[in-house]
Amino acid sequence: MQLNPCAKHKLVRDSVRHFAETELAPIAAEIDRKAVFPVDVIGKMKALNYFGLQVPKEFGGAALDSVSSAIIVEEISRICAAVGLCVTVHNGVAVYPFLQFATKEQKKQYLPKLASGEFIGAFSLTEANAGSDSASVETTAVKKNQAYVLNGTKIFVTNGGICDLALIFALTGFEPGSPQSSVFIIESKYPGFLRGELEDLCGMRANPVSSLFLEDCCVPEKNLLGKIGDGMKIGLATLDNGRIGVAAQALGIAQGAFEAAVKYAKERQQFKKPIASLQTIQNYIAEMATEIAAARLLLYRACSLKDEGASFGCEASMAKLYCSTVASKVTSLTVQIHGGYGYSKEYDVERYFRDAKVTEIYEGTSEIQRMVIARSILSQLIL
Amino acid sequence: MVTELPWDEKAGTLRRDLAAGMMNPACKHALEAALQIKERFSAKITTVTMGPPASEEVLREALALGADEAILICDRLLAGSDTFATSLVLKEAIKKKCPKFDLILCGAYTADSETAQVGPQLAEELDLPAAAYVEKLEISGRTLRVRRMVDNFRETLEMEFPALVTVSMENYKPRYAKLSGLDDAFCGNEIKTLDTASLGIKAASMEKKGSRTKVRKVFLRKAQKGNVLLQGAASNVVNEFLDKYQRKIGTVIGKSIEEKKLDDKK
Amino acid sequence: MTRNRKKSIWVFGDYRNYYQNRVTLQLIARAVALAKIIEAEVCALIFGHEIDEWIMEYTAHGADRILAIDDPALKSYSTEKYLAIIEALAKERNPEIILIGATDFGREFAPRLAKRLKTGLSADCVGLDITDDGLLLQIAPSFCGNMLAEIVTEFHRPQMATVRPGTFKEIPHDYERKAIVERLPLMNNLPKSRVRLIEYERSVEKEHTIENASVIVCGGRGMGNREKFKKLQELAKLLGGDVGATRPVVYAGWAEHGVLVGQAGKHIKPKILFSFGISGAIQHTAGLGEADFIVAINKNPQATMMKMADVAVVGDASDVLNNLIKELKKRIRE
Repeated sequence: MQLNPCAKHKLVRDSVRHFAETELAPIAAEIDRKAVFPVDVIGKMKALNYFGLQVPKEFGGAALDSVSSAIIVEEISRICAAVGLCVTVHNGVAVYPFLQFATKEQKKQYLPKLASGEFIGAFSLTEANAGSDSASVETTAVKKNQAYVLNGTKIFVTNGGICDLALIFALTGFEPGSPQSSVFIIESKYPGFLRGELEDLCGMRANPVSSLFLEDCCVPEKNLLGKIGDGMKIGLATLDNGRIGVAAQALGIAQGAFEAAVKYAKERQQFKKPIASLQTIQNYIAEMATEIAAARLLLYRACSLKDEGASFGCEASMAKLYCSTVASKVTSLTVQIHGGYGYSKEYDVERYFRDAKVTEIYEGTSEIQRMVIARSILSQLIL
Repeated sequence: MVTELPWDEKAGTLRRDLAAGMMNPACKHALEAALQIKERFSAKITTVTMGPPASEEVLREALALGADEAILICDRLLAGSDTFATSLVLKEAIKKKCPKFDLILCGAYTADSETAQVGPQLAEELDLPAAAYVEKLEISGRTLRVRRMVDNFRETLEMEFPALVTVSMENYKPRYAKLSGLDDAFCGNEIKTLDTASLGIKAASMEKKGSRTKVRKVFLRKAQKGNVLLQGAASNVVNEFLDKYQRKIGTVIGKSIEEKKLDDKK
Repeated sequence: MTRNRKKSIWVFGDYRNYYQNRVTLQLIARAVALAKIIEAEVCALIFGHEIDEWIMEYTAHGADRILAIDDPALKSYSTEKYLAIIEALAKERNPEIILIGATDFGREFAPRLAKRLKTGLSADCVGLDITDDGLLLQIAPSFCGNMLAEIVTEFHRPQMATVRPGTFKEIPHDYERKAIVERLPLMNNLPKSRVRLIEYERSVEKEHTIENASVIVCGGRGMGNREKFKKLQELAKLLGGDVGATRPVVYAGWAEHGVLVGQAGKHIKPKILFSFGISGAIQHTAGLGEADFIVAINKNPQATMMKMADVAVVGDASDVLNNLIKELKKRIRE
């Protein structure tokens, strides 16, 4: 793994930062306050390939590596986590399964639309009774002629309110004791596909999170992703990848908050000097800086492994666990350092505080990450 | 000292000032103009910059935005060149690497205190018709028509290729780099590096034909006026200020801003 | 052509915007001061058609000699024609110094002329002097903006400099003054212009703007962000003035390029200038020479802008602005 970014990664970071600071910064607070999805800016991002980060050029994608992809999510999230979420979910868990598991025909049919952002994707696994326990999905898919009929409800679907395409995990095998699930590509225009109300969330409010209802929704059989029974396999592989995206988000949020904290500490005067001269504040700053640096290394290590084609699941879990923990801590400290102003919506830091929390929950809670990491270590023959 | 030139056409170039870290803003506008020409007329854009090795960053940025070729002129001998010398070196590079250009575009001014001389001086070196502060370019065959605003005059000018323009920041809002372009900028795009030797420029001739001006001293500006200092909480300071200067301000704006006294009886 | 011809300082007559832009007169004034030191004469160049008015004006404002070419072919400004004319004249008369106003035209024309004459040029000078060894001392901003450089052109002649309008003060006119007026013929091998002027019109829209404002409220990066910057408009409105911006602010997209104040921006001459959150880079302050009364607000009392101001208010620019608006709203009466 390269410790110093190469010229290309530097250019990626500079370019995305420039876009984020110019286009996202002016609207980030307002779209959070009004919980409104910024269609115009997203439109600009579609034209700039933000929705086809790792899609090959032949399908209209940007063909970037995983490190670049993480940098992009990080830089967007540093300014506006809700938009970062939209981009990482689309790329990381909606497009990624296509790249890994789709047939040539499915790629040809869907990748160009996904890469251009004509179709925004969503990944729907979670249900009311199946959160961490993802094997307990109750959505069913029953074969009927040349199609599958799906019934069920998915909740907390990121991009759910606006997605054009969703990957739905449904039960296709009903043997008690050995449930078998599969993944289906569903276009929002299919009859029987309905969206629920938008969730009213603590953070990431500009992202349209909603439930998806499938009521006798007919899906052509060619829209089965992978083979029947591949649900677990696709799910686990996708979540491994999704974790990198969430880690990048969390890192971006932490970084943005941290910069605000340092700036404020230098400017705010109490007892006739900047609070940055107080030892307690200095301790906070030192801790935040160190933990963010460590989080950064964990994230980019996982990305490098993925780019090298090595197995990266455990490392991705570590990155997600650590980056999200750091994000929560750093944003909380940042509010603290800002004192009363940090609690007011006049400053951005309370938004970062609210946005950070969910990074410890979605794409596998921190508890699940610990489980994944432990299992990975315990199953190794040699450490 | 580095300057930036975007160039173009069937050749185009771009140059840059390193201190800013990224491409000089005016040059971004020039590059945007070049890119729009390329979109309409399928042109080839060559970007050129003169500066230290780190200037490569800016060439990569230009490639990511859509330039086709990049040239870096880098040589210790050229450090501290004034615009006279810089335009000379650029001319040599252009004659050597893309002599068949149609149009050269430069940013109208740079972000540091560089004073927009390189464009006109390069035009003189290459004996080209030129126009500065161009806001709009239109091409028809070999004829270039430009619109610009200079000294409160709106002008439309015409000239034939080969020509040079400097592009103002009024128009040609720079585009964002497409993410696919970022990959393109690094794969299969060699940046050609030239030093004075490869340009056939010898140290002695730089002495003779190079910089004409010489900096004798650099110093900090001295404060100019003795002045009144006010400090304290914002509301107090504002009141103090207004009380002191209300008459002066009132006279200028034609309205009274004297504070109403509480015991004013009307 | 006498061998012992007196040295001459040439000032290019940029008469196009005469009544708004007095830069030629300002340069003549400075040239007169410099000429005293090196024992030279000040010579104004006027190339155009029906130029008697300018001949009279430049004479009244201090020129010792006028080199005038009056011909219909010179009705509109033309860089190419002027280059050829001055090249020929300079070869014949060897001016010691040529000064050109840094108008848009001058900034395009002067560098090209310097190249044609194979000499050095300092642009946007904020000061001109004579060194102990008799050279033109060109004082121009250095990279960082807070530094100035003293520059000389040691070995080449003429020594050239461009100077922004508002840097020097013109000499009051004296219509009794006399100058030597040489009415020269247009050279007959004048090159055909490769740049053709298709049309031009004076742009009226810009007449009543920041350049004419008597109160200007200028903001810099110290305002913090775009929203806070935009509040300056409220103060400007209360005072019947205009908002100006520094270069970093324009580059950050908080304000349009059209309100840039400074060397590269609009030339302002307000009666009162408010300077909010501006540190005072030379590129900005060099354009403030004609402001009567400057009020600077900055967190840092040591900032250059604070030292230049008549009143320096130490505080957060945005806070002071908000308070000032509040107070003024209370106080303003017709």
